[in-house]
Amino acid sequence: MSTPTGEEYRFHRVRRFFGEAEWFTRETWVGYGLVLPATVMMLVIIVYPTVQALWISFHSRSFLNPNDVEWIGLVNYHELFADPVFTLALKHTILLTVGAVVSMYLLGLGLALLLKENLPGIGKLRSLSMVPWVIPPVVIVIIWTWTFQVDYGLANLVMKMFGGPNKSWFGDKSLALPLVTMLRVWKDTPFVAIALMASMQSIPGEYYEAAEIDGAGRLQKFRYITLPNISYISMIMIVIETIAAFNSFQMIYIATGGGPVNATEVLGTYVYQQAFREYALGYASAVGAVMLTLLAIFTVVYIVLEDTE
Amino acid sequence: MATTNQHTADRKTGIIGRLDAWVGDEHSLKYAVGVYAALALYFIWFLVPVAWLALSTIKSGAIIQADHLIIIPSAKNFTLGNYEMVLTDPQFQSLFVNSIIIAFSTTAITLVLGILGAYSLSRFTYPGRKMLLVAFMSTKMLPPALIIIPFFLMMYSLTLVDTYLGIILAHCVRALPLALWLLKGFFDEIPKALDDAARIDGCSHLTALYHVIIPLALPGIAVASFYTFVTSWNDFLFVSVLSQGGGTRTLPFGLFLFQSANTINWGATVTAATVTAIPSIVFFALVQSYIVEGLASGGMHGS
Repeated sequence: MSTPTGEEYRFHRVRRFFGEAEWFTRETWVGYGLVLPATVMMLVIIVYPTVQALWISFHSRSFLNPNDVEWIGLVNYHELFADPVFTLALKHTILLTVGAVVSMYLLGLGLALLLKENLPGIGKLRSLSMVPWVIPPVVIVIIWTWTFQVDYGLANLVMKMFGGPNKSWFGDKSLALPLVTMLRVWKDTPFVAIALMASMQSIPGEYYEAAEIDGAGRLQKFRYITLPNISYISMIMIVIETIAAFNSFQMIYIATGGGPVNATEVLGTYVYQQAFREYALGYASAVGAVMLTLLAIFTVVYIVLEDTE
Repeated sequence: MATTNQHTADRKTGIIGRLDAWVGDEHSLKYAVGVYAALALYFIWFLVPVAWLALSTIKSGAIIQADHLIIIPSAKNFTLGNYEMVLTDPQFQSLFVNSIIIAFSTTAITLVLGILGAYSLSRFTYPGRKMLLVAFMSTKMLPPALIIIPFFLMMYSLTLVDTYLGIILAHCVRALPLALWLLKGFFDEIPKALDDAARIDGCSHLTALYHVIIPLALPGIAVASFYTFVTSWNDFLFVSVLSQGGGTRTLPFGLFLFQSANTINWGATVTAATVTAIPSIVFFALVQSYIVEGLASGGMHGS
């Protein structure tokens, strides 16, 4: 049944296919080309070191002789789980993470509810509330160590007026961990709050109007409209902040260096301590590898949970 | 919430009435007062220590460590000597210059790579695009403490320890994932018809990006550069490891060393800390109106 026109038609189709394929590949290669520099940089500076760190964790290696490398298999990991400081650091990391994320979320939610109100001057307060988030961590630590300084810190001066104790707060074994947790909360609560607020503001006003017609009170509107509509951003903020808190290093290292007597030793400071003070690269990498594994498990559980919802 | 029938014209007279009008129709005055009171509690927690630090910078040595509460120093004890001492200290100046060099270079490099990458991820479709987006973001999950060890070894073997470049590279990759996501979020908001039109008019991809996308995405670029700048300006970990000799130290690490070596001179410590915090806060003040928008529309949207 084939006619010359049919042949021509088929030929035309083939040509169009190749034309499209060529256009597609050209566009594709431009796309790849543009994203290539960023990708190469991430591969070389993040991905390769990560893989190398995992590799180092199976070796005995010291900063003093970086070329003297010996394969020792799982020995580092064996030692790790018999190491009381590691166990303590793990416990502190979990306490800090849970404490910081719960307080941050609840405070952030409360702050978001206040800041979303359309009241005079609230725009200024929104911006002002973000300031702790941009202050350098080292400055945050100085702000608070200065406030809690023994003898002449603001906290002690005020306590003194009410007959309270005068002490070095960060030097107190039982207060040090709550205090460094508080520093994290202080820094990141505004970030959580502004993200939640932005999400609340994108909820259509009609939802609330409809609920009001149905006679819903303030609490019911919060429970049945606000909360479900911010659940997605809430999950994201909780994941981001969990990862950040779990990786805590800077502020704790600057504030207490892990002390007093390991009271604020967390996994982040312990890796640093082992690598750059004890020069035990293999051992430090093993601690880092455990951190990475726990974070990976957390992320997988989170993805599965989000999928099932 | 107040019902509208309470807001009749005659209630809007008198002090309470005028306050009520100022607060607006949506809210009862009682509710507004409650909101402000709760906000005040939060702001006390955050502002009091900051104000205490800032006020300490203008107290003379005689009263900075006074054993009783002095909130605002009297004229006799007021001094700008701490600022003079810190700002004329050559060591502080070199820390400041290093911070400026590193933060600006980091921002420039991250923006170039980020804009190109975000343009690609926003405007092109190709296999692996989504995976790339997720992969970029998941590098944020990796513990910096784990990466720093091989990163140091790598920089050591490339003889990049004690150079600006080593630190700048480290800061770039720390900031790049979020900068990419933020920029992609902003680019996605720009209708694709605009750059299609530019392409039909004979623009190449890069000129379309330059003439159409970048001008329209300036708020997003401002937010991304702010975020990158702050990441670099505030970093402690990478600088502390990569500045072995001291020539490339930046303010946070210098401040840490100063504070731990010199716990006696609190006047200089609090003043140096205040000066260190100012650039991030000023940059924030410039772009703050876009940040809420950025958090709402940019990096926070899932794929």
